[in-house]
This record gives sequence, structure tokens and C-alpha cells, in this order.
Amino acid sequence: MSNSLLSTTDLSISYGAVKAVRGSNLEAKEGEVVALLGPNGAGKSSTLRAIVGLIKSQGSVNFAGQDITGLPTERIVSLGLSLVPEGRRLFPNLTVSENLMLGAPRKAKSDDLFDDLLDRLPILRERLQQVSGTLSGGEQQQVAIARALMSRPKLLLIDEPSLGLAPTIVDAVYQLLSDLRKTGLAMIIVEQEVMRVLKFADRAYAMSTGEIALEGSAAELRTSDEVKRVYLGGAE
Amino acid sequence: MDALISYLVNVISLGGTYALLALGLAVVFSVLGLINFAHGELMTLTGYVLLAGILTGQPFWLAVIVAVIAGGISAALMEFAAFRPVRNASGATLLMTSFAVSMLLQVLFQNGISPRGQAVPVPTWLTTSLSIGNSQISKVQIMSITVGVLSLLALKFFFDRSYWGWAIRAAADDFEIVGLMGVKASRLITFAFMLSGLLAGVAGVLWVIQRGSVDPLMGFKPVLAAFIVAVIGGLGSLTGAVAGGFILSAIEIALQTWLPPNVMPYRDAVTYTLVVIILSIFPNGIFGKKTQEKV
Repeated sequence: MSNSLLSTTDLSISYGAVKAVRGSNLEAKEGEVVALLGPNGAGKSSTLRAIVGLIKSQGSVNFAGQDITGLPTERIVSLGLSLVPEGRRLFPNLTVSENLMLGAPRKAKSDDLFDDLLDRLPILRERLQQVSGTLSGGEQQQVAIARALMSRPKLLLIDEPSLGLAPTIVDAVYQLLSDLRKTGLAMIIVEQEVMRVLKFADRAYAMSTGEIALEGSAAELRTSDEVKRVYLGGAE
Repeated sequence: MDALISYLVNVISLGGTYALLALGLAVVFSVLGLINFAHGELMTLTGYVLLAGILTGQPFWLAVIVAVIAGGISAALMEFAAFRPVRNASGATLLMTSFAVSMLLQVLFQNGISPRGQAVPVPTWLTTSLSIGNSQISKVQIMSITVGVLSLLALKFFFDRSYWGWAIRAAADDFEIVGLMGVKASRLITFAFMLSGLLAGVAGVLWVIQRGSVDPLMGFKPVLAAFIVAVIGGLGSLTGAVAGGFILSAIEIALQTWLPPNVMPYRDAVTYTLVVIILSIFPNGIFGKKTQEKV
């Protein structure tokens, strides 16, 4: 069995008096794709943000055999963790090319990686000198993913990759993720489109009001009555 | 024609200085969300270092370079001593801190050096003029335009081509995400202050050479103008800071040149009325982003 790449132990996050996440234990193994499900406000985004050190948390986070709890974000990124934030959060006044180059460490030789990513995403090659704020939502999501890959992560955290995108564009985004998976990249995906991500992921966790309510293989959760009840209103 | 040439020369030389000052404010605003009102005292400090260099008999060019570098180092020290301890405090706290630093430095200059202005002996070759057509252009102005324009071009290159240039522009868009790019926040902030101090240094040298003297309170007026420039251009917008610099300068010099003498005492009032009109048309500044709601 492959090794654990990331694990959180008793991770808790508070915003003032409000506990957004309570004692969650998550794991992602090397090369594994993990889905993180849950309704709005369940604590999924907070969990991802806490893992990369953008917000403070209690409990501990282990990555690649190292305790990364409380490390500053730039250290965590340099160890091989990268986040595609909710709403893409590109730098809208920078060009596509500048967004990508900023994603790479300052002294890194990144030309090969840059070319490789553009081969995967040919549409961006035509847009390199365009200011990223003027791209379509789908293109922005592709840039956001590519930018996160410029730091050569071992584990990619992706927050809502399909949010606000048309279904055909979502297909393209998942096609990209599927290509990336073949390279051995591990991922944790937060996603509202439950069935789509459960078809894609190896394993899944379902959060509810700050706690992990369910976990199991993606196949198990796909047929779980609980998941159907909570996310699909009993349909399907 | 001659009036136009001399008008343009004045606009470009003053506008360049305003643009450099406003860019200094904008760079720090990008990373900290702070308008640093102690920016003017960096100019003053540069002026005193320049004076010290000249009085101790250093070559003029060396005195200028040392003065500009002193601006950059002082700004980094200012960040370390005054702003770093309150980095996570509210914007109001940061603003108050910047006023405190500004007053502290003014008092230090007044008590430690002299409350009165001191003449800065500019080399004689700078005090002559050139004639273009029938208009006389002083060499100080030519130098000021050259230095201003070259500095702006160098900055443009820096912001477009260098990693730290991208990082500062990115910080203006979304500071939190810059950390996700692997950029160390404290290093970026120190860097931004140092750059802002160098810009204040260049502007300070130009300012002091043009007026020929340095005094403890001289930084206040230009930094206030630079603040207005940054607001006209759109706070945090680097392009806006440059455009705003030339717009304010064009307004001020036009009024200075063509306002009837009996209205002249109201020049500043007229200037700021025009500024208010510009802002009522562009509430976020000409190049400002619409304020986006926080998700």
C-alpha cells in the first residue's frame, strides 16, 4: 500500500467564537485523489486553507513525513503543497505569463515546466500576454491550476474547480485533472458537484458542520444513502 | 509656443517628482494597505544626507548616490522599527503609527539639526540655463526631467520583467495569494519599503536641488500632494500613480501660469476643487479598481 502523504490530526479551526472545523482527521496517500464534500459552511475551504497555513488552526498537520503545523505558507509551498484557491484568485492585472512565472520559486529553472504546461493547455499559449482578469472563467481556472503546478507540488489542493463554469468547461477542467493524475500527482478536491467528483476520486470525506460525517472509498460514498439524502435530496 | 514649451517643461519636471513620490506610496500601500505619511520625512532625510555630503566636500554625484541609498535603508529601518511590531493591527493603527514616525523624525530634525532651513549649495554648472527658442530652461529642470523619466522607465522595466516587480504588482491585486506563490511576506514588505525609500530618495534629491534648501518640515507638502496624486490615479494602482502625478502637476502649473493675479491666493483651493471634480467622476481614481466585495 502506498504511503501517507498528508494527514491532519484533530484539526480545529475557529473564527472568533465560531468553530468552523472540529477535530478533523484527514489523510491523502501518495498519488491518491481525495474528494472533500459537504454543504456550504461545512468547513471544507477552511480545512484546505489551514493545511497550507493561510489561517491558524489547532491540531497538527503532517506532510511527507514532516510536521508542518504552524509553518508559514511559503515554507509549506516549498515543501510540495499547492492550493488552487476558491474563485481562482488570479492576479487580474498581471498577464497569464506573469501569473504562471510568479507561481514558480524565484530561483527555479522553470522553462521546461512552463512549456510542458502550455502543451497541456494550448489555449493559454495564445493568451500568454493577455491580462488574466480578461480571461473567461474556464481559462482562468486553467491558469489557476497551471500556476499552482509551477511550484512542482506533490499534492495539489483544489477548491471548487467547477464553480461557476459551464458543464462542457467543467469536462475540460476534469480532463486536465485526469491527465495530471496520470503523472502521479496526489489531489484533494473540494467540490459541490458531488457525483462528478465521486466518479473521479479514489476516496472521499463528507463534512457536515465542521466535522467529518462520513468517509470511505468514492465508490462506497456514491451509493451511500446518506450522501444521496444530504446532497441530492434523495434523487437519482 | 514659448509659453507652451516652458509650461510642458514645468509640468514634466514637477510631474515626474510627484509620480516618483506617489509610486513610493503606492508600492507600500500595495503590500500593507498603509498610506505612509512618514514618506515625506524620508525625502527630508535624503536632503540632509545630500547636504552633509556636499558640506564634507564629497563629489556631487557621490553625495547624490549616498543620499538616495540612505533613503532606501532608512525606509527599511522604519518598517522594521515602527511598522513590523503592528503589522497585524488595523489600518487605523498603521496610519497613526505613520503619523507618529513622521512627527518623531520632524522633531529629531528640528532639535538635532536646526529648526531653520539650510541652503544646499548646488554645483554651479547646474545653476545655468539653456535657451530653446526664446525660452530659458534651467539645467536643474533638464536634470530633473531626465532623472524622473529615466527612473520611471527603470521602474517600468522592473515591474514588468523582474520577479519582485511581479510580486509587488501581484500584492496590489491580492496580498494573501502572493504567500501561496511561495513569496515570504515579511521579505516582500521589507523590499517594498526599501524601494519606496529609494523613490523618496530620488524625489528628495530632485526637490532639494530645485528649491536649493532643506528644512525639517519640507516633506509634508510634497507627500500630501503625492497622496492626492495616488488617490486621483487610484490607490494601489502603479500606472495610476504616474498618471496622477502628471495630472496634478499639469493642473498646478496651469493655474500658477495663467490664473489672474487677484485669484492667485486661491490657487490651492482651485486645484483641490478640480481634484474633487475628478474624483466625483472617477470615485475609485482614474485607474482604480472597483472595490470588490470580500468573499
